[in-house]
Amino acid sequence: MMEAAKVLDAKGLACPMPVVKTKKTIEEIDSGDILEVHATDKGAKSDLAAWTKSGGHELVDEAEEEGVLKFWIKKA
Amino acid sequence: MENNTRVAIIAANGGMFDAYKVFNIATAAAASDKEVGIFFTFEGLNLIHKEAHKSLSLPEGKEHFQEGFEKANVPAIGDLLEMAQEMGVKMIGCQMTMDVMNLDKDHFVDGVEVGGAATFIEFAKDADVSLTF
Repeated sequence: MMEAAKVLDAKGLACPMPVVKTKKTIEEIDSGDILEVHATDKGAKSDLAAWTKSGGHELVDEAEEEGVLKFWIKKA
Repeated sequence: MENNTRVAIIAANGGMFDAYKVFNIATAAAASDKEVGIFFTFEGLNLIHKEAHKSLSLPEGKEHFQEGFEKANVPAIGDLLEMAQEMGVKMIGCQMTMDVMNLDKDHFVDGVEVGGAATFIEFAKDADVSLTF
């Protein structure tokens, strides 16, 4: 797994907050760096994938661990 | 990365469900780098009224959903409104409705611009996504 430049804890947040927070946080990292996002909103699975695509970023990997959805997004 | 996709929304209803529909779509779109504009007309003006947006009603018989909102940790309408503004969502209050309801710009949250249908149409004519709530 690539080293994340930043980890965003979006656990417990409902739609649309995971996407809004991800948008804000990705502005704090450099292009090419990885943002790791943790969420429990089940909708985040498709939402963050769609968000990543619409922003031109790359969803490098995703996983589910003990009910927590994890995403690794490479900033465009 | 930056794209020019434009989302034009008409908010014509003023209940809490309506507010969530409008602001969730608007903030999600703005967070996805879309250019978003909302035209608030008739009861939709409740959503940006300084006081009214804090106490929007649930539909009759659906009051029990209040608990569900809290349990799901859904953000307050005021928070969504603030976020929408932070992300540059354009908000247009309908002048004609404001005149009918005897309201002026000062009754609304900061950053709201006042305009008529033509103002919205000018924004919406180049929209890729148009929604009405």
